[in-house]
Amino acid sequence: MAKKLMKGSEAIGEAAVQAGCKLFFGYPITPQNEIPEYMSMRLPQIGGAFVQAESEVAASNMIYGAAGAGERVMTSSSSPGVSLMSEAISYLAGSELPVVIVNIVRAGPGLGGILPSQGDYFQATKASGHGDFRVLVLAPWSIQEAADLVQDAFDLADYYRNPVMILGDGLIGQMMEPVEFFEGRVPTKELEPKTWATTGCDGSRPTNVVNSLFLDPEELEQHNIHLKAKYDRMVADEVRFAGYGTDEDYDVLIVAYGTVARVCSTAMEELREEGIKVALIRPVSLYPFPYRAIREAAMKAGSVLVVELSTGQMIEDVQLALARSRPVHFHNRLGGMLVSPDEVVAKVKAMLGGQSEEVHHG
Amino acid sequence: MTLLVGHFGSGKTEIALNGALDLAAAGVRITLADLDIVKPYFRSRSAREILSDAGVELLAPTGANVHADLPIIVPQIRSHLRDPSRRLIIDVGGDDIGARVLGSLSDVVPFDDTDCLLVLNFRRPSTPDPERALHMIREIEAVGRVPVSGLISNTHLMGETTPAVVLGGYRQAVETSRLAEVPLVAVTVTEEQIADLREEKFECPVIAMHRIVMPPFAQSHERRTTGPLFVVN
Repeated sequence: MAKKLMKGSEAIGEAAVQAGCKLFFGYPITPQNEIPEYMSMRLPQIGGAFVQAESEVAASNMIYGAAGAGERVMTSSSSPGVSLMSEAISYLAGSELPVVIVNIVRAGPGLGGILPSQGDYFQATKASGHGDFRVLVLAPWSIQEAADLVQDAFDLADYYRNPVMILGDGLIGQMMEPVEFFEGRVPTKELEPKTWATTGCDGSRPTNVVNSLFLDPEELEQHNIHLKAKYDRMVADEVRFAGYGTDEDYDVLIVAYGTVARVCSTAMEELREEGIKVALIRPVSLYPFPYRAIREAAMKAGSVLVVELSTGQMIEDVQLALARSRPVHFHNRLGGMLVSPDEVVAKVKAMLGGQSEEVHHG
Repeated sequence: MTLLVGHFGSGKTEIALNGALDLAAAGVRITLADLDIVKPYFRSRSAREILSDAGVELLAPTGANVHADLPIIVPQIRSHLRDPSRRLIIDVGGDDIGARVLGSLSDVVPFDDTDCLLVLNFRRPSTPDPERALHMIREIEAVGRVPVSGLISNTHLMGETTPAVVLGGYRQAVETSRLAEVPLVAVTVTEEQIADLREEKFECPVIAMHRIVMPPFAQSHERRTTGPLFVVN
């Protein structure tokens, strides 16, 4: 297929279609409306169905039903809408249903604003609903990577029978970049038939029941242990990250994800032109988080800079990874304001010049 | 007056900004009206400061409404449409949805003195071929209540644009021009590629474009901001 110039939202929609998603349920919210709009145009062309639900609560329960019937299904929203979905996300995890949920994050809290943010990191990686469960979270930094990760997300969701979230800031939804879809893409995982799905039966097999209700505590404990084992397999097998300049010598390691990492990459090039040695590590999977890779990369640096569009969320995972072995500094913008390359350059220079204070908790 | 219409993401805003700045540099008194009610980011209003530095008057929502996802049509547009002393460029939102704004202004648009230029990028998914481009032209004309008077070939892949991409899009634009019976008035190329395409014969003027509105990681040293999103200064 020839390269197309696509908005992130369009590329995410097309990627889902390419991955075999025939069902989409959602409710509009800026800055991701082009995803449902694209799906409403595209799904009827391939014999699928698009339903605009009456709310995010309804949409998230519709994906529960579709996934329970064994279909590949997606929903998308932005921060406040994802909050409304959190009960269903917990039920999906408890019932072990494969779905793909896209969150194009806007600035909060509350209704906030419509500009980009990374304020939903905690929600995505640690608190996407009640109970004791995990959602696999992938964060693209380009439109091509968004398209690739959405396709992988469907495979990972089916393989682990678990919700997978694509976490993009507003820029990922709205900016345009060249995208290519490859014919004959091979699934990232070997997938088994969905023998657990409620596909209707004629008595030839026992009835399948999909729910998350376990009244017997012994049974629920076994279910919790089974889920934990699944999350442990994700931690062992699904960590994704990218390093830039991490094979060379450097004094400062920058940690950033999503489009913020691209700003840092621009800053890194400028710093290197000035002879300042910097490397960048970018978590691609936010859960499971690349603790080991960050620890190993940080050991080569004198100090670490975390850059985020939040008051400090991923930084807690970076600090967990480093266990106080390296000083951690922080730079951020909030409210929909973006970090500029100049700010990152200035921050790194301040760190090296002793004019930046490291971040401490407690 | 020049209206820029076209499909969602075809490049209307970039062309409107380039055109306004070029005309202002040539001494023309110019007003740029941002009537984009479709996309929430990357609108003409984002370039407020460079426009004001260049002496271009910008008609767009102000204050917090700069970043609102509301279909705001600034009321001053109606009086500007009646002001013959200034050249007006109107950046209209994408597709037939965006062109609805024009329909609401059709009683004051001076049709005799208006160019309605439709921007085409054949690398965008909604217009992959001349047939669908023709369909879009007719939809926009019906909803906007204004005939399209010229086409602009703006096929590109941003940083990955090659001469072949420009030429392929140009040929499809020529075919669209024939189908729609509307002249092709310009083909755009990036400043970097104008040399590579010097040998090519185009049947319309070639306009060199420079990217103005872009995400922060792609901004150059010379044009950079720490201000609100995409406001280039």
